[in-house]
Amino acid sequence: MKALSLPLPTEPLHGQIRFAKLQRPARLLFGTPLNAALTLLFGALLVVTVPPMLRWLVIDAVLFDPNPSACRAASGACWSFVYAKSGQLLFGIYPFDERWRPAIVCLLILALLGWSVRPASWAPRLLALWLAALALIFWLMGGGFGLPEVPTSSWGGLPVTLILTVVAIGVAFPAGILLALARRSTMPAIRIGAVVLIESVRGLPLLSILFVASIMMPLFLPEALLPDKFVRALVALTIFAAAYLAEVIRGGLQAIPKGQYEAAAALGLPFWRTQYLVILPQAIRVAIPALANTIIVMIKNTSLVLVVGLFDLISSAKAALADPEWPSPAAETFLFIGAIFFALSFSFARFADFLERRGPAAH
Amino acid sequence: MLSDAKTRSIVIQCALVALVAAFPALLVSTTFANLRARGIPIGFDFLRMPSRIVISEAILTYKSRDPYYWAIVVGLANTVFISALVIVSSSVLGLILGIARLSSNPLAAGTCRVWVEVARNSPPIVLLIFLYSLWWKVLPPVGEALNPLPGVYISMRGLEVPALSVDIASQGLFLLVIALLLAAVGWAPGRRGWLPPLVLAIGAVGLWLAEAKFTVDWPAFTGSNFTSGKELTPELTTILIGLTIYTTGFVAEIVRGGVLSVGRGQWDAGQSLGLSRGKILRLIIIPQMLRIIVPPLNSQYINVVKNSTLAIAVGYPDFLAVMNTIISKSSHSIEGVFIILGVYLALNLTLSSAANWYNRRIAIVER
Repeated sequence: MKALSLPLPTEPLHGQIRFAKLQRPARLLFGTPLNAALTLLFGALLVVTVPPMLRWLVIDAVLFDPNPSACRAASGACWSFVYAKSGQLLFGIYPFDERWRPAIVCLLILALLGWSVRPASWAPRLLALWLAALALIFWLMGGGFGLPEVPTSSWGGLPVTLILTVVAIGVAFPAGILLALARRSTMPAIRIGAVVLIESVRGLPLLSILFVASIMMPLFLPEALLPDKFVRALVALTIFAAAYLAEVIRGGLQAIPKGQYEAAAALGLPFWRTQYLVILPQAIRVAIPALANTIIVMIKNTSLVLVVGLFDLISSAKAALADPEWPSPAAETFLFIGAIFFALSFSFARFADFLERRGPAAH
Repeated sequence: MLSDAKTRSIVIQCALVALVAAFPALLVSTTFANLRARGIPIGFDFLRMPSRIVISEAILTYKSRDPYYWAIVVGLANTVFISALVIVSSSVLGLILGIARLSSNPLAAGTCRVWVEVARNSPPIVLLIFLYSLWWKVLPPVGEALNPLPGVYISMRGLEVPALSVDIASQGLFLLVIALLLAAVGWAPGRRGWLPPLVLAIGAVGLWLAEAKFTVDWPAFTGSNFTSGKELTPELTTILIGLTIYTTGFVAEIVRGGVLSVGRGQWDAGQSLGLSRGKILRLIIIPQMLRIIVPPLNSQYINVVKNSTLAIAVGYPDFLAVMNTIISKSSHSIEGVFIILGVYLALNLTLSSAANWYNRRIAIVER
């Protein structure tokens, strides 16, 4: 890989731009007729849109006043609603006295995610840590063993979003690796099976898969085996993620030169050890940028479970807005929900940029 | 015997085939047993029965005594309509935005960057619900409708646009001729010469024979209401705007990548050949850029079709929403699910094979 990174012809150009940016903002804004026109156009756009937005968002807004009538009187945003209802927005219909449990779960998941992105902590130990954490999470959320039981139908808000994302991606990743290997298999039955599964899942909207999971499962499973809504949505999300991750990993597998397989064969390694020790570590490293994109898509996709009646962030927002005491500030509330999703995926995207800059060949 | 690779492979495959065959068989038998226990009939006969479901708005004409199959077609037409409009508008906007992001002007590049980041990092469904919640908050009542462009009015009631009305004996015939024309034009570009103009001429004569008259209806405000013109409801407008904002962010990134991927040397080479800027762009830069951006653009277009299902979040009856209503109304869930799966697979396969065909046409011809 090192030999390929010859200086690109565009590099001096970038350098010039950066230098110029530091030196002369005025020339960048008005240097050429085109730039002057662009500056005027976008300047006018910003002057027209930004001040009214700021006035609504901050200046005329009600920030912390817990009295709903303050919101009715103000012409700006009603943030005090989001503030007063933050518990309901974040945790949905989870029993009021037990809200400390989902709060701990959220902090735990976020802390673990933060811990996991450090390349220094990438070891088999991490997997064990996550499994232990998941057991703890499901105990905290569901109860039992000393805690009051809370059925999944009462789970809601941010913990649902986080658990769905983490578990769906966690299960889909190994499943995606198996599917990718199956699609490249020399055995026709296995290859065709994998192709049919991957392509039909990728050809369908996630919503239709969620609908099928919620409509069909009660029909083709005996009543006793029927999983609840939460598990049904989780299964649908996992299948969906596995098909997309499989294609990304297959892309990584295709980048591995034949010599690697031949070298492993010359060492006498059997199939699975070849994959585990030689091929997959390289393939996954190549696929990291695309993997990160797929994972961001999955973070955003968990917002769709509201359509099949799960109580995620959007549904808890809708429930909170139904309170007749407040003037129902929908725009502010959905801005808040959007900001949570934005923070999750934006920080993951920056992490992916970091991995990409670090380079696929780095150890 | 199992140590022999060939035998082992055959045994594994047989086991897989048996598993794959046994699992659906088990599912189907349980399903039929469950359905029989609830007294639900199976079969596609119900499609010809009157549906009696309500479709709040539709591109095609629909009455609730129409049969189920027509309700499905109406839903599908809504989905195709949304997807086509969003694909066209986000391609145009994405092209502009992607190039503006590369501008050395910090105001232009910065504004476009904010758009791209917001679009790429927020769930489309939240974006749609947010825009929908703004509708009654920001927009004026119908009497004080905003008039941003001549002939376009925005108010609480929705978006009023000029309508192109086609006065024709049979709308079906018109659609058929258009479809034939599109097919001919799509098939013909590889062959130059007399064929495409001939096909177009035949189409034009056909339309003339069918006595098509095109008239533009401008919206006009009379007293309390808009007459003539076309009214797009708040739901439809929200979906169109929201999905366009969302998709534009992705298209802009693809375009930006495409422009960056064509090296500066290509411009220099074109100039040293004495080509004009326009010719360099048309003959050298754009063909190379297209080759890179067509595959990812195609998967974005397929995503638009898939994202059009989010129409359900604001209550617009797209194909999936109509099918959902049909399933709960007729309790023909198995048949409904098969129709859903079949239609989306067909739509996406059509799109991707069209893109693959286009991709082959613009691919490097290696001699």
